[in-house]
Amino acid sequence: MVFFLQTSNWMLQTLLKKYPIFCPVPRLQQLPAIFGCFIFTTPYQSAKAVDPKAIRKGTVMLRSKDEDMKKSRTGRDNFSPRPFNLFAAGASKRRGEVLHDTPDDTEHPAISRKQRLCSPEKPLSAEEWEKLKGAFGSPNQFEVYMLNQMISDNTPIDVAKSLLAAVASRDGDIPYRLLVIYLALCVSQEQTEEIYDVHDIMKARFKTLETSAYTLLIKGLSSSQRWRDALSLLEEVKKVIGPSKGHYGDCIRGALINQEINLACELFHEMLAKDLMPNLGTMQVFFDTGKSVKNDQLKTELIHILSYLRDNQVYPGEALMQSIKQWFESIPGENWKGNLTTLKNSGQCPSCNEYLESINLSPEEYSILKEKIIKDVIQGTDTFIKTTPQELEEFKVFVHKRPPFDIVIDGLNVAGICRKSNPSQTLLDVVEHLAQRNLRLLVLGRKHMLSRSHRWHRDNLAAMQKKADFFFTENVSEDDPFLLYATLHSGSHCRFVTRDLLRDHKACLSDALTRRLFFKWQRGHQIVLSSYKPRKKITFEPVLRYDTIVQTSDNTWHIPYDDNILERSSYEVPTKWLCLQKK
Amino acid sequence: MNIFNVGLLTVVRRPVLQLAAQNGKKGVLLLKMPCKVVACRTLALSPWLNKDTSPHATEKLDLDGWKHVMRSPLQEEESERTLETEEDSQLAATRDLVEMWRLSGKIVPENIKEEELKILMECPSKSSKKKYLKFLALKEIAKKTDKEKNERKKKAKNEQKLKEKEDPDDDLENQHGKLKNTFLMKFWSRSEDGVYNWRGAQSMIFGQPLVYDMAYENYMSLREMQNAVKQLMECEGLNRRAMEPFHLHYCNLNADDPYHKEFIKRYGEAWDKLFVTVTEKDHVEIFPRDQLVYLTADSPNVMKMFEHDKIYIVGSLVDKSIQTGLSLARAKRLNLATARLPLDRYLQWEEGAKNLTLDQMMRILLTLKDTGSWKEALQFVPKRKHAGFVETSYSKHPFDTRMMKTKIRDVMASQENTGKPFARNPPRQQMQKWWEEIS
Repeated sequence: MVFFLQTSNWMLQTLLKKYPIFCPVPRLQQLPAIFGCFIFTTPYQSAKAVDPKAIRKGTVMLRSKDEDMKKSRTGRDNFSPRPFNLFAAGASKRRGEVLHDTPDDTEHPAISRKQRLCSPEKPLSAEEWEKLKGAFGSPNQFEVYMLNQMISDNTPIDVAKSLLAAVASRDGDIPYRLLVIYLALCVSQEQTEEIYDVHDIMKARFKTLETSAYTLLIKGLSSSQRWRDALSLLEEVKKVIGPSKGHYGDCIRGALINQEINLACELFHEMLAKDLMPNLGTMQVFFDTGKSVKNDQLKTELIHILSYLRDNQVYPGEALMQSIKQWFESIPGENWKGNLTTLKNSGQCPSCNEYLESINLSPEEYSILKEKIIKDVIQGTDTFIKTTPQELEEFKVFVHKRPPFDIVIDGLNVAGICRKSNPSQTLLDVVEHLAQRNLRLLVLGRKHMLSRSHRWHRDNLAAMQKKADFFFTENVSEDDPFLLYATLHSGSHCRFVTRDLLRDHKACLSDALTRRLFFKWQRGHQIVLSSYKPRKKITFEPVLRYDTIVQTSDNTWHIPYDDNILERSSYEVPTKWLCLQKK
Repeated sequence: MNIFNVGLLTVVRRPVLQLAAQNGKKGVLLLKMPCKVVACRTLALSPWLNKDTSPHATEKLDLDGWKHVMRSPLQEEESERTLETEEDSQLAATRDLVEMWRLSGKIVPENIKEEELKILMECPSKSSKKKYLKFLALKEIAKKTDKEKNERKKKAKNEQKLKEKEDPDDDLENQHGKLKNTFLMKFWSRSEDGVYNWRGAQSMIFGQPLVYDMAYENYMSLREMQNAVKQLMECEGLNRRAMEPFHLHYCNLNADDPYHKEFIKRYGEAWDKLFVTVTEKDHVEIFPRDQLVYLTADSPNVMKMFEHDKIYIVGSLVDKSIQTGLSLARAKRLNLATARLPLDRYLQWEEGAKNLTLDQMMRILLTLKDTGSWKEALQFVPKRKHAGFVETSYSKHPFDTRMMKTKIRDVMASQENTGKPFARNPPRQQMQKWWEEIS
């Protein structure tokens, strides 16, 4: 009996872990924002705001319904009953948790090194260092190890000095390597005087330095009185090897601290010209400076940074967002008001009631994207890799002969969504569900679907073919490129159904701009089946109507930002917004 | 660095002091002397100072003493350095950078050639530079260890010779041993080569063709291409030593290609004497299309057995950047049959890509040709990639003739055993008895 109780308890725990939706209420409360944002089952419904409490009730109801489903559920067809957008920040992580039931991997005991020699707390004499060194396993590495240990232990700098003194008295010289690590220690502890000294010594001893020393020196000097030395170091870095965004960022920080706005802007533009994406921290320093310095040039620069964020689809983190907000609110005479908010699917901002930019591409963008998809994704370097020229031609004729479609379905992807049900049945259900709405459908598949097998029933296929157009590619061809082509060809009203994230096709695109266009188009046109029960229920995830990007109108700014807690994958967009409104 | 510094010290100490002693009368030198001597003194004295102070007053250590040490020899160095800076070319700067990287403990080569520096400068990104440097450094280390090993061997050999000379008795015996009555001369590798060449010549006439498709040059980087050539050389060597070699065809190999140049560079004069057909033509021009089978890991068809009347094509492509479907696309374009090895059927695949290196492929094909046994052939798949053979494959695939034979033998053996049931396992019987006694 006792045994039974234990197991049942264990079962309950694992179930709770596996299906987060059955968790007690407190955990759900963390997610109201996401719930509030994406609760609409189909893109065709009008938007309605539902408060998180209602959703909680809904999930409780689901729980009783799903009781019998629970045990039989296997990993793959385990749909999370909550609707959430495929591209919302953190979605992939949640999906991963649902699918894999990851064990808590917090129990990684700190790997104990063979020799963990703590750095001493007081400066030692040369003999004492020798003694310590004798005790250490690999004497050649002793100094390097010790200095590194000091960095991680945050030991007083005097200890490191005494070690260097011991080395110097023994060898009459200090290896460059040790100097660099010592410099790192100084920089991490912000020992300005020491950094000056090491800088002078290095400059005098060595004609050129290497990257790590430059990085450390620039970092150390830029926040000190001698920040101009950092600039000359930057020039040196340019001669040898291209400076990194960190180098530029530190120099800009130095210039801004010392109110050299011109110089900072120059450096910033130089950096952008070199295709370096500035760190968020660098931009934050600009905004922080803007709070105290009222300067027209700086203001235009800050607006320029915001447009840079927009053009490159960069989303600020929470810290930068706060800086931006405070800067806007500090502009004299303009009376900006910032609010943190999440958006409705209608694209209306709840705090200022403005509608955000539509996710639809402009006609020029659309035609560029279409051209690039054909050129890069379908044809690529060799048409034979994904398909054959004959097949491509055949498909083009097929698509051009027919009037535009409303929905293009990736047959094999949709069919494979539910393991328990027969693939042809799944596909038939979806096709019928969509056909009820009088939509013109195209289903893409492979030829093997036509061959007689238990997976693909003739009757189901025949039933589907009455309701939708079908195109079967060769078994060795890829069907996704055809899906993209057919959708793009049909026009911007056309959507496509697949669960595939299409990342590999996005990667085929040659430049970053088209990749961004593709992603925007994908967010606005991809329909994802979010839950399916054989012959009963079909739900689609909502398609976003607004674009998640930094945007402005006459007297508002809307800036999406990354939550600190939520991990966002590169193919997802943030869900939180900063709404700035001029009153 | 230390060596450098010691050298510097000697430069400072010896010539200056000696010169000063020798021609001390010359005023110019006397003028120069003081500063250098001072520099020298701080160097020499600082350790003494430290040692003196530390035992008495451990509290009061000379913490900044090292800075003086570091600063003192700089006048000397600067004069040296200024001369160098005059030719401040990019090349020198890169060389300096590499040197500094070495000093800071990064994995970079000690000596770097001009051409390597140029390749380094052409690397588009910082990480590619570092990667290339690491490659060079590892190469250098490997070379060095090889050299050391050779020297050690040489030394051992010399010692052996010396020993032999020391013991004349032993020597005599050896002499006798060498002049032993034998019906064979010492078997030199030259004579072996002769045999191989005969076999190679035979295969050129009667052998089954095996095609290496060299059309992937544009898809490979320089290093991938070099690796491909290396693998192909190994293939050719394996084939030469085989009992029944393939007739190798290197198709689509143009005379001006870097591929071809690399071959000539590696093989040297031997290139023209290889028993290999090298042609600019495509394989479809030489052979009938219906006999050709393109071997590619992307193929949907699994190879069931090795057919002796087919002509197999292996794409000579080293693909480190994982460009899937390249060779399949080529086969599709030429409308050829394709096949892949039945790796999943016979092996419990664990990790790694299913594409094998060219020499592994060659070993597998040669073994298949000789024995027809997949199990024997697939032992050349790297062990790290799989967990072992799938057990059930014996009974499932009757097309494997060799396995059939062993199976029949097994069956016959078991039939024999049934005649005298306990003959083969007496230990078990004993065990049972022992068990009965105990219980």
